[in-house]
Amino acid sequence: MTQLENRRKMEALLTVCFHGERHNASKQGIDGLVMDNNSPASAAPDLDEISEERLLLERLRGIEDDLTGVYSIHIRLSALRPGNRKPHFTRIAVRAFDFVTENFDATLYEFSNCDLLLLCNYVPIEEVDPSISKVRALFSEDPLTKAEEGSKDDIFATWYDLAQEEDYENFIALITDLEAEAEERRKRTAEDKAAEKYRYLPGVPLDPSNLAAINDIMSESRISDLIQLQSAIQIKPKAKGKLLFREHYVSMTGLQKRVAPDVNLFGSVWLFQYLTETLDRRVLAVIGRRDFSALDSPISLNLNLSTILSKEFQKFHQSVEENAFKVVVELQMIDIFTDMGGYFYARDFLKELGYRVLVDGVNPLSLQYFKPGVLKADFVKIGWGREFLSEIPGANKNEMQDVMDRTGKSKIILGRVDTEKAVEWALNFGISRFQGHYIDTIVDAMRAKEII
Amino acid sequence: MARAPDSHKMLPSQENLLVDYVRRLEDHKEGRKALHIKLSALKPYNRREQHVRAAANNFEPFIKDLDGQLFSLKNSDFFFIYKQDIQSALDTLVQQVRYMFSDDPLFEKGVDKDHGDFTDWYDAEADFDKILKLVQRLAEAEHRRQEETHDKRQNTRSALKARQEKGDPLTPEVLGRVETSLSRADLSNLVRRQFVCLINKQMTPEQRFSELYISIKDLRETLLPGVNLLSNPWLFQHLTETLDRRMLAMLSKTDTLTISGDISFNMNVSTLLAAEFLNFDDNITAARRGAMIIEVQKQDIFADIGAYLFAREFVHEKGYRVCLDGLSYKTLSMVDRERLGVDFVKLVWDPEMGDQNEEEKEKFVEEINKIGRGRVILCRVDNREAIDFGKSMGIELFQGRFVENLIAENNRRFELLRLKRRMERSEMHEG
Repeated sequence: MTQLENRRKMEALLTVCFHGERHNASKQGIDGLVMDNNSPASAAPDLDEISEERLLLERLRGIEDDLTGVYSIHIRLSALRPGNRKPHFTRIAVRAFDFVTENFDATLYEFSNCDLLLLCNYVPIEEVDPSISKVRALFSEDPLTKAEEGSKDDIFATWYDLAQEEDYENFIALITDLEAEAEERRKRTAEDKAAEKYRYLPGVPLDPSNLAAINDIMSESRISDLIQLQSAIQIKPKAKGKLLFREHYVSMTGLQKRVAPDVNLFGSVWLFQYLTETLDRRVLAVIGRRDFSALDSPISLNLNLSTILSKEFQKFHQSVEENAFKVVVELQMIDIFTDMGGYFYARDFLKELGYRVLVDGVNPLSLQYFKPGVLKADFVKIGWGREFLSEIPGANKNEMQDVMDRTGKSKIILGRVDTEKAVEWALNFGISRFQGHYIDTIVDAMRAKEII
Repeated sequence: MARAPDSHKMLPSQENLLVDYVRRLEDHKEGRKALHIKLSALKPYNRREQHVRAAANNFEPFIKDLDGQLFSLKNSDFFFIYKQDIQSALDTLVQQVRYMFSDDPLFEKGVDKDHGDFTDWYDAEADFDKILKLVQRLAEAEHRRQEETHDKRQNTRSALKARQEKGDPLTPEVLGRVETSLSRADLSNLVRRQFVCLINKQMTPEQRFSELYISIKDLRETLLPGVNLLSNPWLFQHLTETLDRRMLAMLSKTDTLTISGDISFNMNVSTLLAAEFLNFDDNITAARRGAMIIEVQKQDIFADIGAYLFAREFVHEKGYRVCLDGLSYKTLSMVDRERLGVDFVKLVWDPEMGDQNEEEKEKFVEEINKIGRGRVILCRVDNREAIDFGKSMGIELFQGRFVENLIAENNRRFELLRLKRRMERSEMHEG
């Protein structure tokens, strides 16, 4: 089924008056079979928890005798990048259909996987188009919406002419599958959910009322055992590797379990940042106890700008002193943007003492909107994202190359590398510095062969 | 979120208007006289506002008939310039005014009619130079007095600021308390307004839109004297989310804030995506959306660029315009206005901008042109230097204390023009 053809057919159908084009007997037979096999209609529904998917199936059942003029559009919000699949985004997207549902015989179903489905009965297509365009525009930065509308690559919005036998079958199959998935999802535990959601930790959000207590607990809890290590390496020709530094970071899941099991520490961006200031001081105290002259490979630490100018950092520096070249300070973009003047000051201050400065928190998307080269740091860590690959091949290559060149290839570290593809992609741009789960396995292998 | 500091509006003073009027009188002094009534010589309890107003009311008939012009000075004195035809009627009037204050010790010693302690009479033709000198002296005295009080106020403010900067830092507990009390408080008396203006070669400001903001300084003074709300950027940022909701509530009630023209206001990206904004949006007309500009802070945009892009698309589609706030000349080159899809960019004035070398300045001009000259707003402009520099770099839009002063100055010019027209009318009447 090509979507474009489908659209045209439907437009033709709806502009001409269409009567008598009904399904023949054999089709009805097939439809009936499909419904009987897959519809969970026979199972007694829990009245309190009837899913939207189920509601739609029931509705279809009620109108299946005459589907003339009935069509549907499936908007696959579930295929958006995780960061775009947030409930408040969906809430706004739903509003784009208010006009259609209020003025025509159209119903919007919000599926539990956050897909939207609009069921229309004799609604002029030109009245529906603007709503679809609006939603597409809202997510215009997501690769999913890049394909030309109505083309066969367009998986964002799929149109079904339910008066057409083939479309109807596909449609019923789709909704039935989605209904089954919804049921599955409902049964799944909160623990599983945590894995699929973006920066999701369970619990009530952080707010000023619980912040003070958490902050106090954090100042007194043991954190040394929550500090984890990850290596950043440079891949050299002949499959050799060089260790750049080992990042020392606090496991957030572990921290939350220890200091506030019922509170989602990521619940408020700003309040989370506030907590990291306390965390910095704790980390500096723990790491500062090391003997830096005996340190055989450099380390990196995540710190806030405000921490750099604090007493705790001064104390830390007293223990580091001439070994400052072994310490890389990682600063977050959000912190830098909040106080750019403070960043320039802290960067110069750190460099003068001999530390190296790394700018962290850059991702494929943000890279398109600002040029990190201006920050003149020693390293810029760019988080790997599949967006780098899913773009139309070659489309952004020149631009990306330009950003890389301006920043300086030798300064870029590709972080969050979890697949070999990421390494291949980066090597093409001349990037040879990496960090991430996939790199951890390479480091282990290299250690075994003693080539690092 | 950085909210612009308050501005002090300068209204055209009667003293300045008087000097200007007397200068113009030089060509029309024939048949005109001047009367100086020194209410300043009365005891303070006799020259309260209502007394002065009552005394001034006596002159109304003359003013209506274009027989004279009254200036009511800051020190309570009157200066009345009139046509000699009304001399006898004016004598009666002065007697009435004197009678009003007859219980004042001034009149106990029996004051002299001409050149006395209460009234001075002048002939415009014979005493022109004397009159001009006198009014100039009065204007200077008033100007000095204003500067002194301004300095005093500045000193109080800077002392207060210094105290607050050293003041207790904002803690989560205090933040929680503040946010709870804010959620119920009516903040309309803390809302300030500052204009964004196009400024032409003659330094005449042309208002484009005005920013409405909650004065953080006054909020602090009202709610939490001694607590430095800005001591922690993250806690402050969280507080602005609460302020956003209060602002939306005020904007929804048109009777709370009287707003004319296009307006802008600060919002967090998180607020734009929250139920409060959706409700606000539901309740305003499409025309009003077109007259609103939403200001978003740069750190908020980059904290979650995906959320920003989504929110921007949403508000643009609704008809609002978006302004990226808080850029410095150092960060200007880092952002791509077109890509970010913002309509305006606010650049914070910093005297260091003028210290850039030629090459840096050229680059700067290039950045301005790339963003679009009509889209860059140089804000926190507090002196003439900022405007001169901005204009030399191609910037057209300005905002800040100095711009507010220019607006006041411009209003004064209009007032003078009005007076001049009045004089001309009176001459025509005479002729």
